[in-house]
Amino acid sequence: MKFLFKSTVLLLPLAFIAMFYILLTEEDAYPGTDYKTFDIPKFQLENLENTKLIDNDEIKGNFILNVWASWCITCRVEHPFLMNLKNQGIKIIGLNYKDERFDAIQWLDKYGNPYEIIFHDLKGSLALDLGVTGAPETFLVSNGKVVAHYQGEVNDAVWSNVFLPIIKEEGMF
Amino acid sequence: MIIEISHYLSILATGLFLLIGLISFITTDTKYTAKLISKTFSHGFLLLLVSFIIYIWLAITDNFSVQYIANHSNTELPVFYKISSIWSAHEGSMFLWIIFIALWGFIFNINIKNDEVLKPKSIGVISLILVGFLLFLLLTSNPFETILPIAPLNGADINPVLQDPALAIHPPTLYLGYVGFVIPFACAISFLINGNPDVRWEKLVQKWSVLAWVFLTIGITLGSWWAYYELGWGGYWFWDPVENVALMPWLAATAFLHSLSVSIKSSHLRVWTILLSISVFSLSLFGAFIVRSGIIDSVHSFANDPDRGLYLLMFIGIILIISLSLFILRFSIIRPIGNIKSFSKESFISINNIFFGSLIFCVMLGVTYPLVYEYLFDQKISVGAPFYNAIFIPIVLIASLFLFFSVDSKWSRNLNFNFFRSPIIVSIILSIASIILLIYFFQTNNFTFLISVYVGLLIIFRYCIEIFNSFYFKKFINPFSAIAHLALGLLLLSISFNSLLSTERALSIRLDSTEEYKDLKIYLKDIKVVKNSNHDSIKALFFIENSRGDIVELSPEKRRYRTRGQITTETAIHISPLRDIYITIGDQLDNGNWVVNVQLNYFIRWIWFSGCLMAIAGIVLIFSKRKV
Repeated sequence: MKFLFKSTVLLLPLAFIAMFYILLTEEDAYPGTDYKTFDIPKFQLENLENTKLIDNDEIKGNFILNVWASWCITCRVEHPFLMNLKNQGIKIIGLNYKDERFDAIQWLDKYGNPYEIIFHDLKGSLALDLGVTGAPETFLVSNGKVVAHYQGEVNDAVWSNVFLPIIKEEGMF
Repeated sequence: MIIEISHYLSILATGLFLLIGLISFITTDTKYTAKLISKTFSHGFLLLLVSFIIYIWLAITDNFSVQYIANHSNTELPVFYKISSIWSAHEGSMFLWIIFIALWGFIFNINIKNDEVLKPKSIGVISLILVGFLLFLLLTSNPFETILPIAPLNGADINPVLQDPALAIHPPTLYLGYVGFVIPFACAISFLINGNPDVRWEKLVQKWSVLAWVFLTIGITLGSWWAYYELGWGGYWFWDPVENVALMPWLAATAFLHSLSVSIKSSHLRVWTILLSISVFSLSLFGAFIVRSGIIDSVHSFANDPDRGLYLLMFIGIILIISLSLFILRFSIIRPIGNIKSFSKESFISINNIFFGSLIFCVMLGVTYPLVYEYLFDQKISVGAPFYNAIFIPIVLIASLFLFFSVDSKWSRNLNFNFFRSPIIVSIILSIASIILLIYFFQTNNFTFLISVYVGLLIIFRYCIEIFNSFYFKKFINPFSAIAHLALGLLLLSISFNSLLSTERALSIRLDSTEEYKDLKIYLKDIKVVKNSNHDSIKALFFIENSRGDIVELSPEKRRYRTRGQITTETAIHISPLRDIYITIGDQLDNGNWVVNVQLNYFIRWIWFSGCLMAIAGIVLIFSKRKV
């Protein structure tokens, strides 16, 4: 018992240190570049303002699908970059993920709205079909086909390393 | 040229501190070495201080041949911000951090007599920690680097979010708190090396630890206040990773102070106290690691550099290995003699340690889980408020209930009281009556709200009765504990009321027209563009009338800083004791209306007041003559 206590006291913090060492030295490759494309699954969701239902027919063409929520801090960090993209004329569709409708609208009013259309996916049903695990996540959609999926904050580096090559390849925007 | 002097002085100080470390650990303690170590440490501190003062002077005089100053300051800044620009980024704030460790060491050094057994080795530990940080500063994040031969004419400006009086005091206060725990840590290590169980290191460090805790409390409160009005987030706590890494040392420090009060009186809980003193200090360092390694994305994080992260991680690792090995080696001497009586004060405090430990563990989990998850599954996730609320609220409430019952407990004695004549029953009745009134008045059946208010009221009533007894029946009361726990009760109440009552709404208002929100009539009188020395701003003027007909003027702004092009929101807040009216302006809509965000934040001042009250409690303890 005493031995167990002593070894836990020493080993637990060291395990933490080792864990952080692994996390810190890990090569930061961009995931999601070898992506199997697929069609956007069939769905029907309310828009954020709850004024109409949106289905596959409403979203045509090339766009970015961004999964966000007002409770997500990283989304707040990512937000200015999305505003930039919007100002460059890139179409962004938002998927509001497991969020309170009111909070989400407040959030957009406060920081600005980069999205052309927003679905309110309270239960995460479309998100589940798309393979979303949390927020923020971003998909590149070319004519109804998902061609890239990035998990985490999209910023300048991610944009030019992950998205731009695929955008060029697909001839989007 | 002058910068080289400053650089040279810090290198010299590093050497001197290394020497002190070596002397204190190699030589046997004699009167002579104790005096030598003490003197040398003061000199080392002096060198470092002069180096820092030169650095400040260079910042004031706009010496842009220094790269760091060129990157973070600007000729147009007021002197005040020229100085605070030093701690607005990584290198300079690290320099300040080191100065503060040395300052704590210095004050400790001149306050404690040389014949104190633990002093030489404590100073030695502090010196070696200083060497570790100074090497980190000089090798991986050198603030003394110069741009030569041609210095830029003007600097790149300080981040405008940080051009605020609160910035000038928030980081320094927080740092003073973080690094202040170097004193109890050093003394604990010195005690473990010494190995004589009769040496009372706990008595030596109490006031120092409380002082550090006071700074940490004020620092966190200031940070919360700053985020509220400067970042325009409109709340007081966001479970941001950097807030979390400040919260962990605070929780550990609070548990440490509780545990310390037991260990001072008897030899109970010594194992806890020593482990907690090591945890507080390493959690403070862990905070520095999280913020400075760029391992987590956050509004607060500094530029990413894995090398710095690696260095800090190794440093924490070495400190942990040495201190924990010492702890295990000396485990037999610090083990408690005899058992703790059930329902004595000691027993309640040891339960309290377990609660605090769980809270720290839960925050740690929230901070690290996304990192581990990302590593294992290559996917990012966010851990936010729902997780922390779900875990924190129950633990805090249960711990507070234990606190309520612990007021009646005695040191080293079983709990022995007549339940029906005790103040407990009075507090319970008063609280239930208040809750019934609240349900009637607010028409709410929100269970979390009611139970939090109930527990908060229990604590407040219980301690009010204690204070009443101490005035009228001269019953002994520990003022520190009473004030701090009253503050906890107040904190519970104000957080509950804040989350129940606060509302916000985005309005779209046309110039020269009125919108209504709740009991307020909001009239947009004017909106114009103003040019200032370093920014342009859109400034609105609102007249807000409440139901009683009182009119207040508020003018929120949106600023664009010229040098960096960054856009910031300046909120306008009308403060009253019960609620804040908090207004920010957003974008102009296509139809010419302006988006205006109005928040009514109830009792938010009381949250910070509770924080300050806790700090005041600490100050009371520091100045009290009595042993507590």
